[in-house]
Amino acid sequence: MSRLLSVSFLLILLIGCGNLEDPATTTPYTLELPAGFPEPVFPENNPLTVEGIALGRKLFYDPILHPEQRKACASCHIQNQSFTSDPEVLPVINLAWSHNFLWEGKVSGTLEDIMRFELTEFFQTDISRLQDDPEYPALFEVAFGNREISITHIEKALAQFLRTVNSGDSKFDRYMRGEVDFTNEELKGFDLFFTERGDCFHCHATVFFTDNLLHNNALDLNPDPGHYLVTSDSLDFGKFKSPTLRNIEYTAPYMHDGRFSTLEEVIDFYSEGLQPSTSVDPLMKQLHQGGVQLSAEEKANLIAFLKTLSDQEFIENPDFSNPQ
Amino acid sequence: MCNNVGVQKVLIIIAGLALFGCNGNEPTPNTVEVEINFDHLVDGEPVVYDQIIYQNALGQDFSIKTIKYFVTRLQFHEADGTSIIVSDEFYVDAREPERLVQSIGSKIPQGDYTGISLVHGLTVEDNQTGKYTQPPESLMEWPIPMGGGYHYMKLEGEYKIDETTSFFNFHSGMLEGFGYEIHIDLDKPFTINSNAVQLKLQMEIQNWFSNPNEWDFAFFGPGIMGNKDAQAIVQENGHNVYTFEVVNSTNE
Repeated sequence: MSRLLSVSFLLILLIGCGNLEDPATTTPYTLELPAGFPEPVFPENNPLTVEGIALGRKLFYDPILHPEQRKACASCHIQNQSFTSDPEVLPVINLAWSHNFLWEGKVSGTLEDIMRFELTEFFQTDISRLQDDPEYPALFEVAFGNREISITHIEKALAQFLRTVNSGDSKFDRYMRGEVDFTNEELKGFDLFFTERGDCFHCHATVFFTDNLLHNNALDLNPDPGHYLVTSDSLDFGKFKSPTLRNIEYTAPYMHDGRFSTLEEVIDFYSEGLQPSTSVDPLMKQLHQGGVQLSAEEKANLIAFLKTLSDQEFIENPDFSNPQ
Repeated sequence: MCNNVGVQKVLIIIAGLALFGCNGNEPTPNTVEVEINFDHLVDGEPVVYDQIIYQNALGQDFSIKTIKYFVTRLQFHEADGTSIIVSDEFYVDAREPERLVQSIGSKIPQGDYTGISLVHGLTVEDNQTGKYTQPPESLMEWPIPMGGGYHYMKLEGEYKIDETTSFFNFHSGMLEGFGYEIHIDLDKPFTINSNAVQLKLQMEIQNWFSNPNEWDFAFFGPGIMGNKDAQAIVQENGHNVYTFEVVNSTNE
């Protein structure tokens, strides 16, 4: 009787979650973090594996997720543009540490949550295409111990791949590690960035150069709704996610609507182009005088510093490229 | 009724064991959970955010939009001269309800106390860049070129002078290795005699701008992070912003 109970208990454990996964078949993957990056917090039910990451990478580049198979994730998230392209597309780099996603902050939570949104609401992926594909069922079995493909497994695989897509070897990083020197221009720009003279660091904070929060940065007298579309709270009107400034040189055009084509235009805006509206963030503290009022030399120095955030190796890293 | 009497007896026995069980005849005091309620007031009333309805000692109108800060090194001072040191560090965001009520990780003994002390912000020893790896605490980072570590406080709002409205960022932190954290002693006898205790820690915002130094928004302007004189004034005024009250639960 007790053996029967034990077997039944084991069976319930095995099939209780609706799948027969065998994690023993996968190879654990240890994420190598750039110096200074904190340990990310991952969901316990989606550990990184070699097989899961490889599957996620293949899916990222495969238009099979699109209902008409016209686009892949990589069609808009292009590696040599730091995984962005159009203005409405935020770069998908260093997302292992992100908890707010999309310009309007439409999705909060984990990478699995945003991947689910992309699959079910943006792409409206037809899982039967993957299930009928000659390759994918076997790949899902290897990665997750189950040939039955589900949205959950697709989102997990994509999340695993994106957790490896990390940029942390720019000139700035090498300078912080004591490996290279900055030019005088870059050094002055560094000081501008990280003091209240330029005051970039409050929103473009930490080693990720984003606070991952939403702000109204005084872009317009009558701003676009932004996060208001999510919360219907008037205090959220005009709030958009702070984008990372890592690889900013590669991610033009700038702002949520791509209104600025160059970094020079962006700096001009923060220097003298701020516009008042009711929900402007108090961190835009020079709003009353239109901005931080930088000289031409200061602007050039700041741009020189911003270009030290470019990570050439990252945008050419074969580990992140199309596996086909 | 019979069941209640039974439960009472069991509780008395457990209490007896707790009191005398560990070291012979030496009674061990009960320890209790303490919850801190962080309250924020202007002119003695709960803060009303985003409206320019307040006036500082110089008659300058202002509003409050953001109150984020660290309270560390909390201590309970017992009547016999010993102190209970709380190892938790508390990050408070006055506009996030889950950050307004926080529990102390270790229990505090019942007994008589002469007061509490705390550090507003972080001591130089506690204030090292990289210490906090996760938001929201990590977002209090104070830039390395300005000394590193973390903001002690971000107090933000608007001020209005001659019909011109400007933001203020009353941000405090360490400058060039010099700590402007505020060591605060609050002497006020209290007794912990229940099984659940609330420590109501109140911050009077108006005192940041008036006690003992009158704060001139026009003089200090929107940002003060690199201003040593301003940081010194914030430190002096900070000694007078906190009051507290201990409330014993009535549900024994």
